[in-house]
Amino acid sequence: MKKTIPLLIVILGGLIWVAWAFSPHYVLQEVFYNQFYLPWVYAMSSFAMLLGVLSLSMMHSAKIKRKAPKWQYSYFFFASFVITCLAGFIGGTQKGGLFMWMFENVQMPMSATMFSLLAFYMASAAYKAFRARSPEATVLLIAAIVVMLAQVPLGMQISRHLPTFSQWILDVPNLASKRGIMLGVGLGSVATSLKILLGIERSYLGGGD
Amino acid sequence: MSFELFSNLVGAFFTLCIFSFLYKDNPFYQAAEQMLVGISLGYGLVYTYERVFVPYVYQTIVIKHEFVLIIPALLGMLYLLRFSRKLGWLSRYPIAFSMMGVGMGVPMGIHAAILVQMRQAMVPIETLNLFLIFIGTIAVLLYFFFSKAHTGVYGKFVNVGKWYMMIGFGASFGLTVMARISLLIGRIQFLVNDVFQMIIK
Amino acid sequence: MQKLDRRWIYIVVALAIIIPLMIPYDSDNVTTPPTENLYQMIDSFAGREDRAILMSFYHDAATMPELFPMEVAILRHAFERNVKVFTLTWMPAGAPIIEYAINTVKEEFPDIQSGVDYCNFGYKPQPFALVLGMGDNIANTMNTDAEGRKLENLPIMRGINNYSEMNLVVEFSGSVAGATWITYARPKYGLNVAVGVTAVMAADLYPYLQSGQLVGMLSGLKGAAEYEKLVDVFAAYRDPARDYSITHDEDGNRILPGRPFGREILEDESTRKLIRITTQTEAEFTLDQFAAFTAKHPEHIPLLNRLGEVREEKMVIDLDQVTPEIREEMGEALYQELYRLTGDTLYKFKVARIGMNAQSVAHIMIIVFIILGNIGYFIQKARAAKN
Repeated sequence: MKKTIPLLIVILGGLIWVAWAFSPHYVLQEVFYNQFYLPWVYAMSSFAMLLGVLSLSMMHSAKIKRKAPKWQYSYFFFASFVITCLAGFIGGTQKGGLFMWMFENVQMPMSATMFSLLAFYMASAAYKAFRARSPEATVLLIAAIVVMLAQVPLGMQISRHLPTFSQWILDVPNLASKRGIMLGVGLGSVATSLKILLGIERSYLGGGD
Repeated sequence: MSFELFSNLVGAFFTLCIFSFLYKDNPFYQAAEQMLVGISLGYGLVYTYERVFVPYVYQTIVIKHEFVLIIPALLGMLYLLRFSRKLGWLSRYPIAFSMMGVGMGVPMGIHAAILVQMRQAMVPIETLNLFLIFIGTIAVLLYFFFSKAHTGVYGKFVNVGKWYMMIGFGASFGLTVMARISLLIGRIQFLVNDVFQMIIK
Repeated sequence: MQKLDRRWIYIVVALAIIIPLMIPYDSDNVTTPPTENLYQMIDSFAGREDRAILMSFYHDAATMPELFPMEVAILRHAFERNVKVFTLTWMPAGAPIIEYAINTVKEEFPDIQSGVDYCNFGYKPQPFALVLGMGDNIANTMNTDAEGRKLENLPIMRGINNYSEMNLVVEFSGSVAGATWITYARPKYGLNVAVGVTAVMAADLYPYLQSGQLVGMLSGLKGAAEYEKLVDVFAAYRDPARDYSITHDEDGNRILPGRPFGREILEDESTRKLIRITTQTEAEFTLDQFAAFTAKHPEHIPLLNRLGEVREEKMVIDLDQVTPEIREEMGEALYQELYRLTGDTLYKFKVARIGMNAQSVAHIMIIVFIILGNIGYFIQKARAAKN
């Protein structure tokens, strides 16, 4: 019972959406979409953010209560979260305020730096892990080296034909393999969507009763 | 010291806190990591409040008097009951409402991801490149078809798909190397140009 | 050799990137068809009231080093060639990036105004709904821009109703780029889609390029460098003989600065000067060009003749020799025109190309690591086999 009504909502709503994709009828396009679906989804979506806030806060307060390893750093999380919220709600989100200053000079550099650590790990992996153990791996490494050299200005200096050859690798074998994979993935995702639409796939409703 | 230099120095300090992880895990990195999560979450919350909640919930219900929208607002609040053991089943309703859109994804997905790609794979084979693309696409698709054993001549043909994929992944890897290094270049450009050279001036 | 501490590798990586960034040198990035196609498509909207492009900033600060130079280059192209630009983002973290990009480029174009030449929609939630709504009517779907102004009242919306006019969307993303537009907007409304992606995703999007679902693609820092080069060679090009103060012809049509795309121009020797990324201070003219240039500024002919120096049948004016007094004498307009003719590019418009120099060194380093690692591995294997 507790799963049936949401399931029915998904099936019926999904079928109306399928009709929407094919039919230009006024009731579907204007009444269902513009007047019902859009305002409702806007009204609901803002609360999803609260879910993330609640989840992280619960995790960190549990960490502090249990005195799990590195529990002291959870205070940094709470402090920065509270200060950001206060700065935003009281000070405002315009450029020049404390809120945007914190975002641009603390969050943005740190977020960019987190990703840039990958470059170091990649260099370390290139030295320690990328082995030409088999003919296939050798072909992979050679294709990678050709594409890498052709991307940089130096590639033009090594050989005039290198950029053309690299573009051929991207346009022909790479395209064929990615297209094959994309067709497979597309078929799989359409199959899953169809299963959800018909109520066969119910894992999104969560476990339990 | 100008305000801009001070701001850049703050950014550089936190950048170096994160970079210090490369040497060893240390308290600066741990603290900076938690601050990153906290500020990101706070930013998301404030922005969602200002750009989504106020115009589409508060203003529509309180000022424009569209009281029917109280229902989706209540449904949205049911999201939070996810953590309750007794009332967790109520959180399925807003999830069901968002999953309705999958009905639209089926026909549009079939068109864009499958039919158009298939159509392009079935063009008249006029050049050698188109022939190679055709063979490659078929071989890669058959490689993942496990209902028939990959033996004999069929197995040899399917093996061609494996070679195509190796070249494709090699190309992806080459481009990924460039992508990762670009991110590092961006950070170092910030440290060299916006901080180091500003200090020198 | 196999047991080398990782941290030595990290130091080599850091040096391999810091040193080329501190010592810029000239290099050439070969342009590829996906970039050229996008450039030509945006250029075809130049000066038209009834065409516009939409730039969707679907990324956060983490992928900025690759995507930000692309966005700046496209904005610079649009502002140079009078293409209407709309910007929006589906992520809250993207909103400051849009403002940063627009402000970076706007500094060099004092005539560009918000609401007239560009319009920033800011952060809009629920991409799915808006992508479909814009196909019917943009002003009704989006309602207001980032500053809260109603769209119907803005001058930029004159002649722009929906996707038939705002005919190209360029989405910048580090992950799923262009999927929403290709799946929903293109089949229903015929919208042209292009993407600017991090290089990680670039290889996966080639099937869409070949099928025509994407008209063009900028892949990573190289794509940004290629686009910057194209803007320098075509959109930002200044002919010494032309008078750029005349902005409209007799019929009231706008005369666009820069020149249209032409592959033979790219392969010509004269473009070498335009794409240099080291600081350029010399404006070079052929003798005919110099005569035409001085004819535009008859009151400054003695000054220009004084500054000019004949070298190998070309007239060269070195801006390093222009003291503040001379600069005041010649006037700011003439100085800016001479500066444009030196072919010097501001740092912010050549960030990607400087980055590609560091990429060259870094790629060689990675290839050396792979080869050294494999040599060590095979030697170890041979030793183990012997024992």
